[in-house]
Amino acid sequence: MVLLQPDPFLNELTSMFERSTETGSVWVTLKRSSLKSKVQRNKLKTAQQPIEYRCLIRATNGKKTISTSVGAKDHQRFQASYATILKAHMTALKKRERKDRKKAAEDKKESGSKKPKRA
Amino acid sequence: MVYITSWDEFVERTVQLFRADPESTRYCMKYRHWDGKLVLKVTDNKECLKFKTDQAQDAKKMEKLNNIFFTLMMEAQPAKKGRGRKQ
Repeated sequence: MVLLQPDPFLNELTSMFERSTETGSVWVTLKRSSLKSKVQRNKLKTAQQPIEYRCLIRATNGKKTISTSVGAKDHQRFQASYATILKAHMTALKKRERKDRKKAAEDKKESGSKKPKRA
Repeated sequence: MVYITSWDEFVERTVQLFRADPESTRYCMKYRHWDGKLVLKVTDNKECLKFKTDQAQDAKKMEKLNNIFFTLMMEAQPAKKGRGRKQ
């Protein structure tokens, strides 16, 4: 498990997506964590100190795993870059089918009365 | 493994799940390019909610959900209803 800084993590994530276009999947997991053990957390609680939470992000392509931890200060920036990467790579999903569905419904109706136009 | 069909229901239930137990709830995403499939899973190790899709419009909705989760995870204490707690 490779723990990286947020920026190198984003670069690695991009190459992971690029490499798995032909085969395989990319898994990304998000979890909140304070990165402290239970003992330390209880200590902070009794001392009335606020526990600082970080967001653990893990990504894998089945063979290699990378991870990073994002704090409150960098999370906005990370969120924006992460969204951009996802948008850029999730191109294999189907576009809106509503137009086709409407067309299919119309064709069905028409084929009852007359043949649909064919070039 | 519960697959939820409505996006809005998925969002509502996963946020509830997270608020109930922020320490053990995690949000996983699996994307297969050659299959053209996207699967989202939110679990707190007791209950699991999943959502699968092959639609591009759901990718946009998922990005919004990502933002929601990022914001939730940054809150020190789970706040009451009112995600718009800007500082």
